Amino acid sequence: MTKKNKDPRPLSPHLQIYAWNISSLTSIFHRLTGVLLYFSIVAISWYVVLFTYRINSGEMVESCDCPWQNLINYALYAIATAIIFALYYHFCNGIRHLFWDIGKGFKLETAQTNGYLVIISAVVLTILTIGFAAYFKFM
Amino acid sequence: MVKKIKIAPATKTGAHHWLTQRISAIALLPLIIWLLLSFVQIVQDPQEYMPVFFAYPFNAVMGILLISASLYHGSLGMQVIIEDYVSCKIKRHFYIMLIHFISITTAIAAILAIVRLHLVG
Repeated sequence: MTKKNKDPRPLSPHLQIYAWNISSLTSIFHRLTGVLLYFSIVAISWYVVLFTYRINSGEMVESCDCPWQNLINYALYAIATAIIFALYYHFCNGIRHLFWDIGKGFKLETAQTNGYLVIISAVVLTILTIGFAAYFKFM
Repeated sequence: MVKKIKIAPATKTGAHHWLTQRISAIALLPLIIWLLLSFVQIVQDPQEYMPVFFAYPFNAVMGILLISASLYHGSLGMQVIIEDYVSCKIKRHFYIMLIHFISITTAIAAILAIVRLHLVG
């Protein structure tokens, strides 16, 4: 990097510098899940494209009894669960951010309670969704 | 002696960026609920539901709206993260353009696919 192109303004402090607490944790995790969700929606969109034009459709439909087929399925379930949790978390925390944007919920206790509430509701909603999906799929 | 910091001229796009980020977030709220309800429905039997899912006009419209809104919201968010953590101005602009390229290409391809699934199946 040449000196000429360097922006003279300071960068954001890197994440390792902060002490852990609920407000920073929820904020950092909001960005992290945002990045994850961005790449997920890109991947899902291209999967829809592949599905539409029936590219490798034979391979998609075909299923074998090979042991790694189960392994791949479990990995896919785990990835889907992670994406759904990230989605719920970003959704709930996004609502919290929207309330902050209209000037509500800035009191320290309120903000901290909301932070815990966001994490708990994201976990509960994920369990409910996966539970319903598994119930409809396997029962 | 305090060194004077040269500040880059304002591009006057910050307020628009902030506002569109919030508007797309609000637009995504009902779309995400639709996505999760559809997910629970589709996983029951993907082989049966996937081909006919976008034949319903409601699903096709919601799908196109979801892809546009989420990729727009996503590129705005990724732009902020890149601006926060990439110092070199050339790399910064390159990454932001790359994100915009990925978003626009993905959006056009996915919308075309949904239209095709809706009309042709």
